[in-house]
Amino acid sequence: MMTTTLSPEQSSGVNEKLIQTASRRSLLKSLTEPLSLLGALVVLIVIFSILNPRFASLENLQNLLNQASLPLIIGIGATFVILIGSIDLSVEGVMAATGVTFVLMSANSRGGADLGIWAWLVPLALGVVLGLASGLLYTKARIPSFLVTLGMWFVGLGIATVLYGTDAYPELSNDALTVWAATITAGLPNVFWVALILMIIAALALRYTRFGRATLAIGNNEDIARSSGMPVTKHKIVIFIIAGALSGLAGILAVMQMGGTSNNIGDGYLFITIPAVVIGGTALSGGKGGMLRTLLGIMLLMVLKNGLILAGVSPNFEDMVSGAILVVAIIAVAWSQRGRLRIEK
Amino acid sequence: MSLRKKLTLAVSTVAIAGLAGLAGCTSTAGDAGATAPLKKEDLVFVCSVINTTNPYFAANIEGCEVLGEKLGIPVEIVDAEGSSQVEISKIQAILAKGKKAVVFVNTVASSDAPVIVDSVKQAGGFVTIWWNKPDELNPADIGNNFVAFQKHSGIDSGKCTMNELGKAVGPDAGIIALPGVQDSTTSQTRVAGLKEELATNWPGIELLDTRYSNWDPQLAYQNSKDLIAKYGDQIKGVWTADDGMQIGAMQAFNEAGLLDKVKFVSDGLYPPTIDSILAGEGNNAIVGETFHRGYMASAIGLYTAYLAAIGEINPSELPAEKRDSMFAISCVTPANMEEFLKWDDDVAGWVDTLIANGPWDTAPVPLVAGGPEKIDPKYAQ
Repeated sequence: MMTTTLSPEQSSGVNEKLIQTASRRSLLKSLTEPLSLLGALVVLIVIFSILNPRFASLENLQNLLNQASLPLIIGIGATFVILIGSIDLSVEGVMAATGVTFVLMSANSRGGADLGIWAWLVPLALGVVLGLASGLLYTKARIPSFLVTLGMWFVGLGIATVLYGTDAYPELSNDALTVWAATITAGLPNVFWVALILMIIAALALRYTRFGRATLAIGNNEDIARSSGMPVTKHKIVIFIIAGALSGLAGILAVMQMGGTSNNIGDGYLFITIPAVVIGGTALSGGKGGMLRTLLGIMLLMVLKNGLILAGVSPNFEDMVSGAILVVAIIAVAWSQRGRLRIEK
Repeated sequence: MSLRKKLTLAVSTVAIAGLAGLAGCTSTAGDAGATAPLKKEDLVFVCSVINTTNPYFAANIEGCEVLGEKLGIPVEIVDAEGSSQVEISKIQAILAKGKKAVVFVNTVASSDAPVIVDSVKQAGGFVTIWWNKPDELNPADIGNNFVAFQKHSGIDSGKCTMNELGKAVGPDAGIIALPGVQDSTTSQTRVAGLKEELATNWPGIELLDTRYSNWDPQLAYQNSKDLIAKYGDQIKGVWTADDGMQIGAMQAFNEAGLLDKVKFVSDGLYPPTIDSILAGEGNNAIVGETFHRGYMASAIGLYTAYLAAIGEINPSELPAEKRDSMFAISCVTPANMEEFLKWDDDVAGWVDTLIANGPWDTAPVPLVAGGPEKIDPKYAQ
């Protein structure tokens, strides 16, 4: 077999060309991935609007955004965690713990004192503590994040169950809290404004701050990040704290939406959020992805669920149809990246 | 029902049938499963509920505890945490402690019943199952240790609430329905009652949409928001399979500014529902409910099993309707609600009456029919 040996100059030139080509491809991919997801979303919106004109009404748009709000807030934390190559499964437990804490510390139908600002601060602090515990166990005890946060899910649920006790379902006595959650400001639900502002802050932080760049660097190659002097452990712990705090906030807002809670207020949110983040294009292996993708992933799932109902698909077939459309949409979106995806075992 | 559950059910049913057959081969005819009466001091009450936060299940626990106190028997609570696996393993752990168990189980899923019944039988205990079991699992086929299966009629519940909704919204309105979990027999029978009542007495009312909401207020809230977006003010009435989901649905209609234009009916008469009716919330939005109580179900179930354990009754000699039983359910409206709330003010007094009258003849929930409850295919979901 014939071999060709390149001189150092030739080799350097080839490397330079390869890097430039790879860089161009990478830039192209980073632009085309969200665009193709946006395209899939637009196609779904057009189809559902044709099937039922009410789908495109302002009322339904507000409904969709209202339902997307909590997954978006949780999705911010989930995206940060996944970007460092970890996973946070504690979402529903943290929401339950903070939701029950919030309602019991507010004026509620069970009686008891309204603790004012503490009714907000204590549950948020609880979310932070649960996130901190996950982060410490993950980084210091070197237990996989999957296992740590699975455990923390049940710790959160346990806290909620103990706090809830066996008394009657507690409802918020202060209607203003429930009314605020449902109020439309400048055309959008208040809860969605909260989600949108947090999403913008997170996107800017990820793109333009050292914190964001460090997150991506750790996800790309933790060893290199560590050897370059980055405080990897501290950074990971902070990310789990952020995720815990955001799940905690979602628990409080869920209670405000419902006007009360039991300890299952977080049920179902984990399995909306994690798939949405991944469908958006954030790699489970870490280092690639972003907030815009999470936004698109969550909207894709929300549009699908809402659209199928408005299109009149029988509930008996809804899961099957939803899954089939999702698979087609993901294949369409990911087709151009199939080479890269192939290496993700 | 998932494939796994179906397989578990099939294997368990075959295993139990096999054991029952073996027992039949080694005993004299007629006394299969019969055991000597147990001493009261050897007994422990086991009270298994799906979770401890739902008001109905919390009331189940209350009924067990009050009965235990009255009879001087310790009570062990099993919180299944919504999981069949947790439920079964906790019950088996208590059975392994050695005391003879008298068991009430509000099963998480129908398919749990054969496994639980088998475990209790092997341990020499006595069990009554409430609400969910497979139709083919018949107490009389298993023996005395499976004392009874008991429930309230879901079909009667659905018919009762739909009738009240029809009266409130008129003969030509559009309504939506939010059932519980799709493979729950309780939910299925309530939906069948709703459909039968619609077809029989309210043919002009259109059931616009049905969305399973899994007994979950949050999901009922989201489904209601989607259906409001789809049908808008075409929706004049909302039928939910339990009050927890009604809370979520009412919240969604309240946010849409429609609460005072829509009527609601449901099953359970939970405390928040009572408060809402008393306050006349949303222009008296709630127009119909059913009355049956968790503490009544658990006390009836546990007391039936207790009587079998101490030899007061011989299950094999009971008529079929006392082995597979349906107890009365009452239709409640805002107008007659007060007469039912008196029972909640004196649970201990009601349990005293139960002990005096026996499990099949205590108002307001006497035995009314035998099971199993059959759904007419015309009204299946």
